[in-house]
Amino acid sequence: MCRQSLLAGSFAALIAGCGPPVSHYLLVENSLRVSDFQQADAAVRQAEKEYGTKSLVLYGMDRGMTLQLAGDYQQSNLVLERSEEEVDRLYTRTVRTETAAFLTSDTTLPYEGDPYEQVMINVLKALNYAMSGEWQDALVEARRLDHRLNVLSDRVKDKGAYREDGYARYLTGILYESTGDINNAFIAYRKAYETYESTRAWSKTGLPVQLKRDLLRTADALHLSQELIDYQRAFPDVSWLSIQEQQQLAQVVLISYNGRAPRKEDQFLDLPISLDALQLVLLNRGIAQSNRYQNRAADSILYGLNGRVVRVALPRLVPQKTQVPVDTLTLVSDGEARVTARTELVQNVTALADKALSERMAGITVKALARAALKFSLAEGATRGAQQAAGKDAAPWVGLAVGLLTKGLAVASEEADKRSWRTLPDEIHLARLWVPAGQYHVQSPIFAGVDSRSGRTLSLAAGGTVILVQRVVQ
Amino acid sequence: MRVSVGGGRARSRMVVLILGFLAISGCGHETKVTRVDTGVVTDLSGRWNDTDSRMVAESMVTEALNYPWLDTFSQSKHRQPVVVVGTVLNNSHEHINVQTFVTDLERELTNSQKVTFVAGKGERDEVRNERKEQAMYAREDTQKAPGKEIGADYMMKGTIATILDEADGTTAMFYQVDLQMVDLESNAKVWFGQKKIKKVVEKKRTVF
Repeated sequence: MCRQSLLAGSFAALIAGCGPPVSHYLLVENSLRVSDFQQADAAVRQAEKEYGTKSLVLYGMDRGMTLQLAGDYQQSNLVLERSEEEVDRLYTRTVRTETAAFLTSDTTLPYEGDPYEQVMINVLKALNYAMSGEWQDALVEARRLDHRLNVLSDRVKDKGAYREDGYARYLTGILYESTGDINNAFIAYRKAYETYESTRAWSKTGLPVQLKRDLLRTADALHLSQELIDYQRAFPDVSWLSIQEQQQLAQVVLISYNGRAPRKEDQFLDLPISLDALQLVLLNRGIAQSNRYQNRAADSILYGLNGRVVRVALPRLVPQKTQVPVDTLTLVSDGEARVTARTELVQNVTALADKALSERMAGITVKALARAALKFSLAEGATRGAQQAAGKDAAPWVGLAVGLLTKGLAVASEEADKRSWRTLPDEIHLARLWVPAGQYHVQSPIFAGVDSRSGRTLSLAAGGTVILVQRVVQ
Repeated sequence: MRVSVGGGRARSRMVVLILGFLAISGCGHETKVTRVDTGVVTDLSGRWNDTDSRMVAESMVTEALNYPWLDTFSQSKHRQPVVVVGTVLNNSHEHINVQTFVTDLERELTNSQKVTFVAGKGERDEVRNERKEQAMYAREDTQKAPGKEIGADYMMKGTIATILDEADGTTAMFYQVDLQMVDLESNAKVWFGQKKIKKVVEKKRTVF
């Protein structure tokens, strides 16, 4: 009994170190909440070692966002470019890494991001270039987005899956139109329209009214009479300015990142393979109330001692919904004239994350079950082998020790891959506003890269476009 | 007893094997730097690189200078035409440093000795500022007077475009560089050149 207690105590001490590290995301979110974007970026930068070599893509994604918010567009593009190159490199999988992940957990795999996250890399880069005034480079990203989405559509045969991106298409349309390429803008708007319509069921994003105006305006400008008639029939109550009228005005595009992207947590499934193990699992659930990460050490000892419980860890999405339904952008001219626009939802990131996880869940579950079965078999084999090697007298306690160690470790090492791009918002909202050229003072919540207390003054030229990004964490 | 000794040897061999494997697996991270001639073709990622920029500039300028517009101009005006390089627009999927390509074009045009090459828009501003400063600060006999610039007869301008096709890890990258020589007086296009580059990049899905 003394030996058993000693063993259990040592084991508890051993796996106590396996707890989750203090998440830097708390620091990031706190900094974002008070609009201290430099501090948010510093928090990600200081956690670079926590990300490790397996999460290079994720580090670039997280920093790309915080750097954009901090107004360092050049550096943001640098880290996002590295992430994009790493995503390309990770197309080739290594058998050694895959095998190691199969024997331990998916967290040992290099993180390449969900397809919607990969698309968002180019979206952020395009915005960075546009906000730096490098419109030709922003168009390079627009073309890359087009290519990425085309390849994705070819690869994913299921038409109900994520294979197009309404917001990415819409943004490329805005970039093309802002640089005078009306033809490509119309094509992008049309693809955005088709995507919003076809993904409405799961994307939880309706067709933005502004996109309807954009379709009508560009179809009219290109003299696409049949398309114009079709859109007028589809959107009878929508009015729009002609291209000629708009070219005399200056455009302001507001992109608002609202809330926090969902996080993932472990969902442990404890599968008993004997009646007493079932009782233990039920009893443990009754005491612990939930299968939380914090109880992992105690679970590992209990199930390791019992030896008849197989644990499977699956990722579960925890939404962090924003409380901001709509934003307004107000421009006040030197003559005190006020122009206001309301933002519209253009991307529901939580819905995309939910869709991405649900599409992968079947594969994750099968792999996790196979891994758990293999771990149990190896632990069982090691326990019996040790018992036989120890001889008759020592067999019981050697079996207990080895069983606790191997089966406990099998339970303790089970962990779902909970990585995701958490510096993304819950929702992305957008507003487009056309005003006569001149000096304007911007009245809106917090603008990324700008001291919120001093506000922002814009000098707008006819035919020019200014893109503003703001972050609201509520 | 013999069995025990044999087991010990087997374990020793296993330890040696594992240590050997660990030693070998650690060798993959060593950084190696090799100096190569700048003319050596280095296709690493398949993207637009220095070799593409240089080769396209060389072949297109050579082609441009072999066309009849040059002789026609020289015979009618009894002098070399004056050429300026205008904008080369990047319409590709890559963030190409167009300035490098423009510099390659300028170098080839200058070294050809068949045309007089004048500074482009950005460089002109710098030179004009220098002249203004000379007028204020330089000795009078060394000052360079304004209004003596040579006006260009032709402008070379163009685009770099790409078409990408990708499936199952294989990417076909098609680059098309279009350059044209425009008569600055009449807007007539006296030469139109095109250079195409096609690359196929194959990525393996699985390696050991």
